[in-house]
Amino acid sequence: MLDPVVLDRVTKRFASRTAVDALSLSVPPGTIYGLLGPNGAGKTTAIRMIMDIYEPDQGTVRLFGDVSGGREHSARIGYLPEERGLYPKMRVLDVLVFLAEIKGVPRKTARAKAIEWLDRLGLGLRRLSKVSDLSKGMQQKVQFISAVLHDPELVILDEPFSGLDPVNRQVLLETVIDYRQRGKTVLFSTHIMEHAEQLCDRLCIIAQGKKLVDGTLTEIKQRHAGNHVSIAFDGNHGGSRQIFADQRLVSRVQDSGQEVELELVDGADPQEVLRALVQSGARLARFELGSPSLHKIFIDLVGPEAAAADPVPPAGQKE
Amino acid sequence: MNKVWAVIRREFVERVRTRWFWISAILGPVLFAGIIVFQIKQSVGGGVRNIAVVDSTSHDYGQRVVEELAASKVIRATAVRSGPGVVDSLTKLVEAKQLNGFLIVSDSLLETGRAEFRASNLSFQTVEELQRALNRLLVKVRLEGRGVQPAVVDWAQSLRATLEQKKIARGRTTTESAGQTFVMAYIIAILLFMAILLYGVNVMSSVLEEKRDRIVEVLVSSLRPFQLMLGKVMGAGAVSFFQFLIWAVSARVLISLRAPIARALGASAADAQNIALPHVPFATLAVFMAFFVGGFLLYSAMFAAVGAMSSNEQEARQAQQPVTYLLMISYLSIIGLTNDPSSTFAKTLSVVPFTSPIATPVRWASGSMGMGELGVSLVMLAIAIVGVTWVAARIYRVGILMTGKRPTMKELVRWVRA
Repeated sequence: MLDPVVLDRVTKRFASRTAVDALSLSVPPGTIYGLLGPNGAGKTTAIRMIMDIYEPDQGTVRLFGDVSGGREHSARIGYLPEERGLYPKMRVLDVLVFLAEIKGVPRKTARAKAIEWLDRLGLGLRRLSKVSDLSKGMQQKVQFISAVLHDPELVILDEPFSGLDPVNRQVLLETVIDYRQRGKTVLFSTHIMEHAEQLCDRLCIIAQGKKLVDGTLTEIKQRHAGNHVSIAFDGNHGGSRQIFADQRLVSRVQDSGQEVELELVDGADPQEVLRALVQSGARLARFELGSPSLHKIFIDLVGPEAAAADPVPPAGQKE
Repeated sequence: MNKVWAVIRREFVERVRTRWFWISAILGPVLFAGIIVFQIKQSVGGGVRNIAVVDSTSHDYGQRVVEELAASKVIRATAVRSGPGVVDSLTKLVEAKQLNGFLIVSDSLLETGRAEFRASNLSFQTVEELQRALNRLLVKVRLEGRGVQPAVVDWAQSLRATLEQKKIARGRTTTESAGQTFVMAYIIAILLFMAILLYGVNVMSSVLEEKRDRIVEVLVSSLRPFQLMLGKVMGAGAVSFFQFLIWAVSARVLISLRAPIARALGASAADAQNIALPHVPFATLAVFMAFFVGGFLLYSAMFAAVGAMSSNEQEARQAQQPVTYLLMISYLSIIGLTNDPSSTFAKTLSVVPFTSPIATPVRWASGSMGMGELGVSLVMLAIAIVGVTWVAARIYRVGILMTGKRPTMKELVRWVRA
């Protein structure tokens, strides 16, 4: 089976800057593929080129092995754009039917499917409400339904989880996983590494339009393993601060309060760190050797400046 | 094509569901019913005017004017001798609405034919009627002065010539009168102008809504921008057609109900028969429709482009001005067009595609246009529609995904060339 999405050295320039710079990637069928990067990395531009909304200046986009562009395949692709938009004055059900119709779904089928999805995501009673009467989170779920209503082979979700509360995020997460289990392909972008780590089979990290790394999650973690320790405290930090400052043992610290990631000096023994911590009176919930978190890899790759400018964004914030 | 159909249907259904559509749909027939009721009331006698005839002549001509007006249905006259303060007190009565007006006749009437009429409302019908009465009186008095019997004069004046008007248009003679032609051409022009402007602006605001509410990104991932624009223009066009249809049907229904309405108002059925829609020949109707559709397509494509290149209402209002001005040219020429539909000016307007949607139906309705000229006008319009739609679609394609500042002229040219 052909890879549903293949980008080959795709470049897009806007007036003053290069948004995407010779980006190549390929999304295998039946996987969840994450496109990761800080704000302004070029994720949305890349996705818009896949969707045939922008034309690349250079390079080719191949969908299902074909270069004719996303619009030709719109019946096989579902798209959740980063800038959400629905007709505010239309009824929820009417919007969904319309958006499915322009993808070629017959009206009746679209109606039945829309009702089914609305029930499934807990919006069954709101189907006759105006879109503008729904909360932001509900609107986002409606928009998500519009991306999957026509049962596409490939779903492209641009920042699907931003602006959702934890309960709805979980609902959406499960829906995405369920989608993959039915043999479909999901490509999604995010700048929140926890989501990527939970979901992705493969991923690609980009910054400033360029690819930094891609591969399966395991591959990437192995590649960036190093001499790595991840620690979680259980309340009392003891004298941990002095131990982390010991440059004979520790070369880098990523301190998130209750959780700390350390990169040790080559040849240093992690057991020595553990012993020192316990002796200093620190209470530990976890002490783990080996694979660094995706978060850590991301920050190492992208650089702390970009990471600092990358807090968990407020709802609906754009790149 | 199914996709375009979906866009058309959405546009149509959502617009017809709005309150405004039904307000204007109902307002039309209400206005029309009002006109019918008003006309019937008028013929029943609501329109009788009380006037005084102030007589300062030495031969009691005032009384004779009143006699001449005795047969009038519209004017009820009473003679008053002239004296100091009479004009002032009559003026006060007019002010107090107890009198509609007064006519002043003096001896100079016989030498110069002059008289004076003062009234709160100088209606065309009253003035006409007064002038006719004075004319008859003048002829009578002058002939009497030469010894002719008054009865003979009355007999001589009892027969009036009536001019049966027939219009020769495109090789056929019709019974349409000059007045009817003028009125119909005028109504056609106003209707076309209003419909093209209103529904063109509708297309613009609908494009703007999709852009502002960020719907357009999902849309263009499934539809080509041209399909979207086409669907929008056709959807809005269908709404305006529907509106016209409601008006036309309700006008027909009201006209067929005019006899019962007249009876309810206490008028005779004969009075009701005077109210009729002007007879519109089928060819005129066809030309009207063709140029409405053409003009609508031409202008709404431009309005769609304007909507696409703006990011908010204010910007759109500014950017639409050139398009509106283009349409205003036709509007401002309506009087000139209807007065002399065969002038070089009128001929030019009916060839230029931006004015022909209004100018050509007007000239056709007034009968001053042949099939050849009509053909040229249609072809020019068709070419312009294709050309303008092509340019508008290219602006639309780029514009709908742009946000931020409005494009400059230079950027627009680049969009079109890209």
